[in-house]
Order: sequence, then C-alpha cells, then structure tokens
Amino acid sequence: MFICHCGINIGGVVNVPDVVKYAMTLPNVVYSEDNLYTCSSEGLSKIKESIGKHNLNRVVVASCTPRTHEPLFRATCEEAGVNKYLFEMANIREHCSWAHMHEPDKATEKAKDIVRMAVAKAHLLKPQEEPEIEVAPAALVIGGGISGMSSALCLADQGFKVYLVEKEPELGGMLRHLHKLYPTMLDASEGLNKIVEGLKQNKNIEVWPSTVVKQVKGFIGNFDVSVQRGNSETANFRVGTIILATGADLFEPVGMYGYKKYDNVITQFKLEQLLRDSQLKKPERVVMIQCVGAREEKGRTYCSRICCMEALKNALLVKELYPETDVYILFRDLQTYGREYEEWHRMAQDRGVRFIKYILEKPPEVVAGHDGKLTVDVYHALLGEQVHIESDLVVLSTPLVQHEDARELSQILKVPLGPDGFFFEAHVKLRPIDFATDGIYVCGTAHSPKNTAESVSQALGVASRAAIPMAAKRLRTEAITAMVDESLCSGCGTCVKICPYGAIEKDEKGVARVTAVVCKGCGSCGASCPEKAITMRHFTDEQVVAQALAALGRAVA
Amino acid sequence: MTAEPKIVAFLCNWCSYAGADLAGTSRIRYPPNIRAIRVMCSGRVDPAFVIRAFEMGADGVLVSGCHPGDCHYVSGNLKAEKKMQNTRKLLKLLGLGPERLRLEWISTAEGAKFAQVATGFTEELRKMEPNPLKAEGNPKAPASTKKVVSEALKKTNVQYCLECGKCSGSCPISKINEAYSPRRTVERFLLGYADKVLYGTDVWTCLTCFTCSERCPSDVRFPEFVRDCRSVASKEVMEELCAHKGVSLSLSRIMTNPNIKQERMGWLPNGAEIPQKSDLLYFVGCLPYFDVVFEDFNLNLLKIPQSVVKVLNKVGIKPAILGNEKCCGHDLLWTGDVENFEKLARMNVADFKETGATRIVTACPECYRTLKKDYAERLGNFDFEVLHFSELLSELVDKGQIRFEGKLPRKMVYHDPCRLGRHMGVYEPPRKVITSIPGVEMVEMDRSRENAVCCGVNAWLSCNKYSKEVQIDRLMEAKATGADLLVTACPKCQIHWKCVTGEKLPVNPEEVTMEMRDLSVLVAEAMHLT
Amino acid sequence: MEVSRSVLVIGGGIAGMQASLDLASRGLKVYLAERTPSIGGRMAQLDKTFPTMDCSICILAPKMIECFRHPNLTILTYSEVQEVSGSAGNFTVKILKKPRFIDEEKCTGCGVCAQNCPVELPNEFDMGIGVRRAIYVPFPQAVPLKYTIDEEHCLKCGLCQRMCQADAVDFNQEPEVAHLNVGAIVVATGFELFDAQRRSEYGYGRYKNVLISLEFERLLSASGPTGGHLLRLSDGRIPKRIAFIQCVGSRSLKGGVSFCSNACCMYATKEAILIREHEPECEVYIFYNELKVFGKGFQDFVTGAQDHWGVKYIRALPGEIAEDSKTGDLTLWYEDTRENATRSMTVDIVVLCPALIPRAANKEVGAILGLELDEHGFFKPKDPLFAPVDTNVPGVFICGYCQGPKDISESVGQASAAAARAAEVIALSASKEVH
Repeated sequence: MFICHCGINIGGVVNVPDVVKYAMTLPNVVYSEDNLYTCSSEGLSKIKESIGKHNLNRVVVASCTPRTHEPLFRATCEEAGVNKYLFEMANIREHCSWAHMHEPDKATEKAKDIVRMAVAKAHLLKPQEEPEIEVAPAALVIGGGISGMSSALCLADQGFKVYLVEKEPELGGMLRHLHKLYPTMLDASEGLNKIVEGLKQNKNIEVWPSTVVKQVKGFIGNFDVSVQRGNSETANFRVGTIILATGADLFEPVGMYGYKKYDNVITQFKLEQLLRDSQLKKPERVVMIQCVGAREEKGRTYCSRICCMEALKNALLVKELYPETDVYILFRDLQTYGREYEEWHRMAQDRGVRFIKYILEKPPEVVAGHDGKLTVDVYHALLGEQVHIESDLVVLSTPLVQHEDARELSQILKVPLGPDGFFFEAHVKLRPIDFATDGIYVCGTAHSPKNTAESVSQALGVASRAAIPMAAKRLRTEAITAMVDESLCSGCGTCVKICPYGAIEKDEKGVARVTAVVCKGCGSCGASCPEKAITMRHFTDEQVVAQALAALGRAVA
Repeated sequence: MTAEPKIVAFLCNWCSYAGADLAGTSRIRYPPNIRAIRVMCSGRVDPAFVIRAFEMGADGVLVSGCHPGDCHYVSGNLKAEKKMQNTRKLLKLLGLGPERLRLEWISTAEGAKFAQVATGFTEELRKMEPNPLKAEGNPKAPASTKKVVSEALKKTNVQYCLECGKCSGSCPISKINEAYSPRRTVERFLLGYADKVLYGTDVWTCLTCFTCSERCPSDVRFPEFVRDCRSVASKEVMEELCAHKGVSLSLSRIMTNPNIKQERMGWLPNGAEIPQKSDLLYFVGCLPYFDVVFEDFNLNLLKIPQSVVKVLNKVGIKPAILGNEKCCGHDLLWTGDVENFEKLARMNVADFKETGATRIVTACPECYRTLKKDYAERLGNFDFEVLHFSELLSELVDKGQIRFEGKLPRKMVYHDPCRLGRHMGVYEPPRKVITSIPGVEMVEMDRSRENAVCCGVNAWLSCNKYSKEVQIDRLMEAKATGADLLVTACPKCQIHWKCVTGEKLPVNPEEVTMEMRDLSVLVAEAMHLT
Repeated sequence: MEVSRSVLVIGGGIAGMQASLDLASRGLKVYLAERTPSIGGRMAQLDKTFPTMDCSICILAPKMIECFRHPNLTILTYSEVQEVSGSAGNFTVKILKKPRFIDEEKCTGCGVCAQNCPVELPNEFDMGIGVRRAIYVPFPQAVPLKYTIDEEHCLKCGLCQRMCQADAVDFNQEPEVAHLNVGAIVVATGFELFDAQRRSEYGYGRYKNVLISLEFERLLSASGPTGGHLLRLSDGRIPKRIAFIQCVGSRSLKGGVSFCSNACCMYATKEAILIREHEPECEVYIFYNELKVFGKGFQDFVTGAQDHWGVKYIRALPGEIAEDSKTGDLTLWYEDTRENATRSMTVDIVVLCPALIPRAANKEVGAILGLELDEHGFFKPKDPLFAPVDTNVPGVFICGYCQGPKDISESVGQASAAAARAAEVIALSASKEVH
C-alpha cells in the first residue's frame, strides 16, 4: 500500500498518515507507507524496493487517477517481478482531496473507504497474460478506384504485399467517368492513367479485377479471405489488414424535377460526360438545381459535399464553351469550403453565372414551357417572389449514395453501416478511418462523399494505419477480455448480438466462444449474460461487487 | 443684342395676371418678348424656378404680384420680395447680373403699368448682352442602359455579392425604411430586373455614405454602383425627390457655361493676401451660394472660408483663389450627370494650372474627394496634391507653426463626415488638430471613425422623414456624450443638421440642439483671428 | 549517407500528435516539437466537439498521454526549430529548447509554486479571460505536467523556489540546443484566429459582452474561468438571449481572408446546443450567410439543433452592434429575411466566429524548411489532387489546418496520410541505399 501526499494536493486535505495506519488494519495489507510523490523516480524505486523486501504479491497505490499514471505504476510492478494486472489504484485526489477541499475530515474518511475498496479488489486480482499474435505483412484492398489504388501504392512502397480486388473488369472506379478534376482541372483520364501505370509496375501489388470478396474469417493479423472471379475461379489470401475502398454510387432522381419525363432534364453526372465527350449542343439557358435528393427531411438527410463544386466547375466549362449561354444555379447553401473554392465561386460570378437561393420548404418546379423548352419556377427566398426561368437544359445535382451490395459486404466483414448508408467508423472525430474492429480500415467515398483530393488524403491515411500492425509483425493483445464458462453457457446468443466488435461467436457446440484478440473488454456481454456464464478478466463480477460492498463498509474478504 | 431678349414672367392670378389682361383689353402695346406664366400668388415663385429659367436661356425674369397690403393671400407678396432679394444675390454671384430679375407690384387695374414695365424691361435687356447660357449644340445621345449597368456591375464588384445582408444591416435608411434594402436591390439587378429598378426610387434613396461598402466582405461598392446607374435612371423620378427643387444642381449646371463670369469674392476679409499665382490654391466650393440659399439658418457659412484665409495668412501662406471658381461638380456626378461634371472639371483644372499651384487645399470634404479622387480618375493627367484643410492644419501643428492664444476650456465632440472619413480615410488629422488646442477636452461618440453615421442627405436627394430620423438620432448621440460643442469638417453636415433642428421635432429640442462649429472656424477662434 | 529512421513532427496539436503516434507505432523514432509548454493544441481549449458532443479534453488526454508514454516518441515542448539542412532520408535539425527555469526531471507537477506566486496575468489558454501565474502549467491536463516560468512576467522573487519541495526551480537554466538527425519532417502548425477587432462595427475589444468563439468556449468549459457556468462577463448575469455572428473576416475580398474556415457553422451550432443544455430558458440565434454542412453527420447535427434544441438560424450577417453602456446589453441590426425588413435585436451576449487563419509564424517555418506558402499563408501541397500532403521539398510533409482549412476529423485522417508518406519516403530512401 503506497499512499501519496502528492505535495499538498492530497496531503493538504486528507490526513495521509491516518490513512496509512488504517490501511494496515485491512486484511492482507502487510506493508503500508506514504510518499510525497509516488510517481517520482524516488517513489517508484521505493515501490520496487518494498516489493522485494516485503515479498509483496499485490500492490495498491492510493494517489491520483489511474487514467494518468496507471501504466507507469504497472510498468514499475513488472520491473519488480509482479504481474502488472496485480496492481490496483485508489483515486484519492481527483475523486477525493480535490473535490472536498473544505471538508478534510470527511475527505479523510472517504479516502479510507476508497482505499478499502481498492484493497477489496486487489484481493481478487489474478495475473493476466497478453497473448501475442503474428501479423501477416500483407493487406487486402477492396476496391480499385483512386482510393484503393492510392493506399495500395503507398503500402507497397513501404514493402508490404497488397492484394487489390476490384469487382469491375477495369481499375479506376468513378474516375473513369469523370471529365476534369478541380481544383487543377486535370483530365481525370490523365490522372488515372498515371496511377494505373504505377500500380501495374509495382511488384508488391497483385491486382484481381472482376473479383468479389466472398468470405472473411479471422482477426487482425490473421484474416482469411476468400474471393471469387467470375463464376468459378476462387482464391484464398491470408492478410494482416483489410482496407475498404469500395466507393459509392450516384443517385438517380427518377420522378424528380421532370427527370425521365423530359429529355432535357439530365443529371450533373450526365453533363460531365457530355462535356468530356464534346457532345454538348449549345444550350440557350442552363438551369442547375442543387440538393436534388439530398438534405431531405427524411431519408437522404445528408449533404453530399461535392455537388456545389461540381456545379461550379461544369458551369464554368459550359461558359467557356458557349460564352453566350446563360447559366443559373439554384442552390440552398453553397458548399464552397475548400481553400480556393470561394475563388471559383467568384470566377463563376465574374463569368455571369447567376445564383438563386431557394429554401427546403419551397423547392423549384420544372414544367413544360413553349417550343419544347422548360420553365423552372423557383421561389426566390431573398426577394420573396416567384421567379420564372425559361430553360432548354435543366441539370440536377444528385448525391452520392452507398452501393446496393454494401450490406452484403458489411456483413462479410462485420463492419457497420451508418444511418446515412455509408460505412461507419470507430470514432467520427479521433478515429475517422479505422473501424471499431481492429485491422480493418475505410477510406474514400465508401466512408462519405468526398472529392479526389480528399479521397487520396484518406487513402494515404489508411496506409499509415494499416502499416502499424504490419510493421510491428507481432501484436500484443488486450488482457482485459471476456471469458466464457462453457459449462454455464446456454447458447442463447444474447452476447453474440450485443458485442459491438463481433468478438463472440457460437461454436460448433452452440456455445459462446470469445476471440480474445478481437475483444476490447467493454463488458457488455458480461452484463447481459442471463446465466452468469461470461465475466471480464480484471473486472470480474466478484471484483466489482467486492468494491461495492467495501464502499458500504461491509465485509471485505 | 442681335437677337431679341426673351423674358419669362411669373404673374400672380389675382393682380398682375389680370393687369396684363387689362393691357390687352385696352389695346395698349408693348414688345412681344414677354412670356407669362400664371401663378396664384407671387409667393409661389420658388427661386429655383427663376434660376431654372435663366439656366434654360431666359434673358430676363419678371415676377409680379399684388401691392403690399393687398395680397390675396395676406403676405405672399412679401415672401416673394424676400425670395427675389436672395435670388438676386445668387444672380450677382453668378455674374449674370441682378438686374435681369425684376420684381414689380402690378394690380388688376394697372394695365398701363404692366405695358410700361414690359416695355422698359425689354429695352433694358436689349442694351445688355444676351444671357450667356443660351442652349449650345446638340445633347449627347443617351447611353445604353444595358451597357452602363453591366459595366457598373463588374467595376464596382456588385457581381461578387454573396447576399450576406451586412449592407442592409448597416444602412441608416434601411433601418427605418422597410421598403429599402441594398441587398435586395443588388439581387434585382443581378436577376436582370434593371429596368424596373431604374424607374423606381431605390437608386435615388442611397445616401452614398459608404457604410455598407466599408463593411461588405465582397468589396461591393454599392454607392458607386448606384451612382453609375443614376446616369441612366429616370430623371423624372429624381426631380420629384430633389430637395429645394434642385436649385443647387441648377447653379452647378449654369457654371458649365464658359461665358459665366462670377462675382464671388465678396466674403474676403480685409487685408487678406491672395496673390494671382501661388504654390497653394484654396478651393472654396459653393459656400457663397449656400450662404444665400440658407440665409435663414444663421450658420454664418462664410466664416469658413474667411477662417481658412486668416489662418493661412497668419502662418505665412498666401493661397491663390480662383475668381471664377466653378462648382467641383460633386452633386452632378453623384446624381448621374457625368457630362456636365466633366465640363466643370476640365474648366477648373485649366484654371488651376493658370495659378501655377502644385497643392490644392479645401475645407469641404465633397470638394476634397471630388478633386483628389474623381478628377484624377476621370480626367487623368491631374498633377496636383489635394489636401483637406484638416490635413494641412495637422501638418502645421506638427511643424509647430500654429500658435494658439490662451485656453479654450470646452468639451467637444467630433463628427467624421462621410466624404472625409469612409470615402477618403482621413480620421486622425482633424482629431490631432482639435486636441492640440489647449484646454480642449475631446470626447468620442460610440459610432465614430469608420462607424460614423451620415448626416442624412446626399446631393440634395431624398430629404424626407427618414433623413430626419437619422439626423435626430445622430444629434442625440452627440448630445449624449456630454459635449457642448459639435465640431465637424463639412459645411453640408452643418446645413442638414441645422435644418432638422429648425423644424417641429418629435423629441425635446433640448436633446438635439447643439452648438456647431466647423473645424476651420474653431481653429481661427482659438488663434484669436476672428 | 545512412538513412535516418526517425521523423521530426513540428506542432503538438491533434494533427501533430496523430502523425507522431502513427509513426512511433510504426517503429520509427519520433521527435514531437511544440512551441508552447504543453502538447494538445486547440482541441484542449474546446469544451465539446461536434457532431458527437464528446468532451474534448476527455478524448484528447488519452492521446496526449499515449504520446508521453510511447517509447519511440520524444516530446520536446517549449521548443522551436531553428535550422534545417540536408535532404529526404537525412535531415539535420537544430532545435532550441527554451528555458522553463524548472528542472523537468524533478518537477512533479504538484502546483505549490503557482499557489504562492504573487504575479497574476491573463491566461493564454483561456484566451485572456482567465488568469494564471508567472509560474504555470497552461492547463491542468498538460503534458508534460511540468511547470514553466514565464520569463517576461517573473519578478524573480524566489517564492516558488522556496516552496518547491522537489527543489525543481532553477533560475540559472540556459536555453538548450539539440541537434537531431531525421529522415523526414511533418509540419502541423495549426491555426490562429483572425483579429475580430478589425471588424470595428462589431465592437469586439470595446464592448465587454462581445466575445469571440474561443473565449466563449472557455466560458462553457468546466475547466474554464467560470467553472462552466454560463455568465455574462460584465455583470455575472445569466444570459437570456445570445447571438452568434458567422463569417467574421471569412469569405472576404477585403478586410479579411477569402476562404471559408470550414468549422465555424458547426462549432457555432455546437456552442448553441451547449447553451440550450446549460440554460434551457436562453434563446440562441445564429446569424449566417451560407450554412456549411458538408461533412459527415453535419446536416443531421444542424437539423437536430433546430428541431430538437430550438436554435434559430437567420440568413443575414448583422451590419453593426451597439452597446447600452448602462446595462451592457447589445443591440444588433440585421435584415430579417423572413420579414424582408431591417430589424434590431437586443441580446445579452454576442459571440463572433472569426476566420481561422494559418499562423503568421508559418512564414518563418517555411523559410527554415524551404517550403512554399500560398497567398494566405498555408503551406502549398505539391499537387492538391494526388499529392495533398507532399510539399515542394521532398521528405517534408504537411497536415492539418496548416495545409488548408479543415476540421478535426479531416486533420486526423490527413495526419495519418502525412505519416504514411513520411514512412514511405524513409522506406524508399533506405531501399535505394541498400541497392
């Protein structure tokens, strides 16, 4: 038992010597001392010394929050020969002295309780092992678009083997269909060809076109992947990591704004291809409508990020081709967020492109006009009046949507889809390109709508994430995992459903089995098992209950 | 005179017009040069009508009403007398000759008198030179509206509008006139509704105070856009909105005629040293005319040029002053009359060159902006350094050349005129000058410098209840600082504020009445020169 | 020359930390240089993050500690890069470690020194609305948790030295120069805020209740100067109506910068929701021009703010703000698009969202590294499309806000990208060496 003064942070409020004395009254506490700063090098050496001197096999440090120094003290115990999981901390600073600075007596009593709770748990602690697994230095990249190819190249250059699987006969994804890429206005085909060439020449990359993934078994470092090409040819790979770069599809706005009803209502994507193939006949007045099928009240509620810039880009291209053509863009909120995107907006204004803002509540209407033309009726939100625009070409900007076969893939890989249909990452802010399942990563439009530059950025990002376990070659897995007492398991399957990481499966006997390497130790399974068949290492039911009882002053051991 | 003189006569209905009728009934002969316009009362005759008549080429104007005491409307004729006295002063200044305006009392029974007056006036005019303002040449073809608007859209950045609304949130008029919104006006132009807007009042409502353009993130120079559009907007609408019946604009237009030889130096103080040639030219502006038009305000506007000259002479500077100085053309330019503006500008520049001056100083921010910016941009080849008097004073203070006599222990607040402040960026020199006067405590209004509020009227347009509200609000703000003197560097601001305080006010007059002083007059007083 | 299997990361914010952790976990040695006394950057100053509403420091601190504890990572705080020479695979870097006047080996972070320091001054971490002492840690979760003496304000009274039980105060400490040999460099210098005083019509700096967003964030934070209580700074009153003004200095052709800062519409929405959580009676208005909802989950976040939390959005940027000097209340003027008329609104607090701009110091960093900057001060990517984190100098990479405007999620993703490229370059240089 090491009770810290932490300068006056604890010692100034809690009567530390009193707590030291009290600790000695607790069962099995054979040694108790106080330190000024337990985390100092002096304090740490004292711990090591005492372990040796008093033959300690359990250590409790009563000081600050485990969230800061637990790893430090654990390492210290290991160095002195005590398994790091036989160490427990009692938080008597953040949870005690700092919170009750004006009531030192009560703080001292509370500190004693906290110490008692820690000791109660310490009694029940068992040593734990962190098993090591080997990591296959190979990656599977699913999807051969710009994202898939970029991450493949980056990993290959770092010396890893990459299997690149693409369901279409050619590589390139969406980029094959695009015309020019903003902000540099590079020809999509030019950019694509350069990368495909580089890819084909790279000896570390094995390209599998016309191939789909059929099954994935295993866990990080040891994924067993089965793929199929055509109707018959199958192959199996063993990979350490998997990268999902399956891209996205385009929404077809059937029944909206006269699409498919009138010939001169097309999608932005179609306009892109007409421009690329020099097949756009001179229109008199083009009206582009943004947010078609996106930012809706229900369903596709998200903003597809790239459509505003797409519209600006194509508007400028049309103006370049046919300077006398009028172009109107009907928008809701102009997403010109990139470093130079506002300048594009100015450029469009300079070329005479007209911008009219409309609101969700009063969307535009496309009706037949005279001589085969159309009339676009829009409520001008600012002026508060209806504007009628005659047009011979209406262009609808539609969102990217998830592929139809994504659900199947999400089940094969056991990775989730979010409410917007796109793949759902581990944490939106701090782990945007990892999945919660270790060893699987996501990038590009499979993650969410984005443009080429952003896709490349994320693709390089996953190359870094995937390289980490592969470069390490071996991984120590978490010791704090679930364990199943098979004799108690009734095979109800509750734990299987509840596990967010897919770490539990029912084996051949119908009994739950935990893949320790995938388990993150959250404990949801243990809390739901009706048979008390599952508990968590280092956080067993008994340990948790013992702390509760100790808190209430009931018997400890 | 080779051609016969043309006389325009304003005759009152009850007396003079009937008198003229009688002359006809009685078959009394008189020369046919006279054209009569019936008005109900001679008091109806606005000096602007008279000036307009001369502008349009009349050689003489006759105003005639009932004999004093007999006015059908009690005292309308007395008002006519006062007004025509003033109008004569204007004619004198213009060098047209006050004799060209005759005021007569002719009663219903005085047919003979009428004929006599008509004959005598015609004879007199025959002996004089014809009105130099006879129409010359063919008017220029009107510019293409579409071209003017589309060029203006590009030049003033209106095309870059993001519809953020900062303009409408800054505009002093928008705040109180719901119908007026710079943001919506811009949007209408961008949508192609120019024709509709150009026939409405929106283009004339803008005060051109530059508050919106100061804050606009897209650098949209809305007032300049509006100014450019005014050249193709409806003149009829403008006429309706022009205060004082546009007499000021008439005067400016009259000055474009090279035959006008003004007599405008009467205000010069005794002993003033004004050489023909000098390194520095003092550009006076239209103050001699305003002094007449706004006589009743008792603003003593001529003290401004007098103070400037006294101060300059005191520090050893002998400025040249143009004896036939033309209006700088500011109001013409900002009401869309570019052609006449350019005429005035060219004439002025030619006169500047004659004096050999390299520097020009003026005490009027509108003249300052116009000379320094608009002359230089539109004429090119403008090699003069232009200063506002506050800048020159600031230089002199820095050099230690200004000696103030004794202390002036007053609390004063300075108002930044739009043309000096936001238009030209001159904020510190006036403040430096004021605070260099010993004993002075200077306080600032919350809305000062680039956030100062316009005095409410621009180029005599749209002077209405909204302007009044803006003016009252500003005066209350000035008063609330606790200062007892409001200092400004623009004579127009003073005129507009004085105008509103003379009217029936919706607030307690105590809250808005403040002693006002132009910076030049303040300095001259502090130097004990007045 | 031998290829150095180590990387220098310049900037200890979330991007710099993520790149460092990726590289360190990769087996490369990482030096993380940070100008201020602690890593953490802007994220440490935030209360919560959008759209998840996580407590910012709670998700950040474990990363900070991971950096601290990682055997391959050396954190160099209170340090600045002075010179760089060499080329990809082999750079020589001279780093100046400014003196903290505290022996880091001895300091335990107990805080007795600060409790006794007589000098109090505005706290940079709290954007000047909170206070610190001349001897200080920037914030309680600072990493490393070591005190620093601010030489400029220290009176050299010696009280701290007397009180310190670890004998850690050393007034004679000299600056140290370290020479590092690294294979690649990652720059992640982040952003600073546009000076809102330049938009004088909003009265920032003159009116006590006009705040900028980062100040307001500190007000909302439990670790901030008011302990997370939503109060007016002028009179301690609980506000009943708060207005946000977006785009202060953004999207401007004059008087600001031309680009959109990416995060402000969202963080204003976040702060608005926090206000409604703290004070359900307080009305919140967000005055905006274009609502930037392009990111994952952004639109739903805003819809929730409107429908569930009752935050009101008005599409107009106010023209000006006036203050009632007696009450401190603020009146703003704006054109209300719903009524098509210019209106005024009186509020208790105005929060300005200023543009987030690349640091002025980027010029110096660029000069030292030979990097090209664009007209705004961002580092230029070699190819914005296919080499977004590369620069004109091989072996030097950029990530986070200094590469271009972005939010936390994108910064984290891009940091991994820079790490990948750095690792790639080292691997390629090494393989060339072998051949």
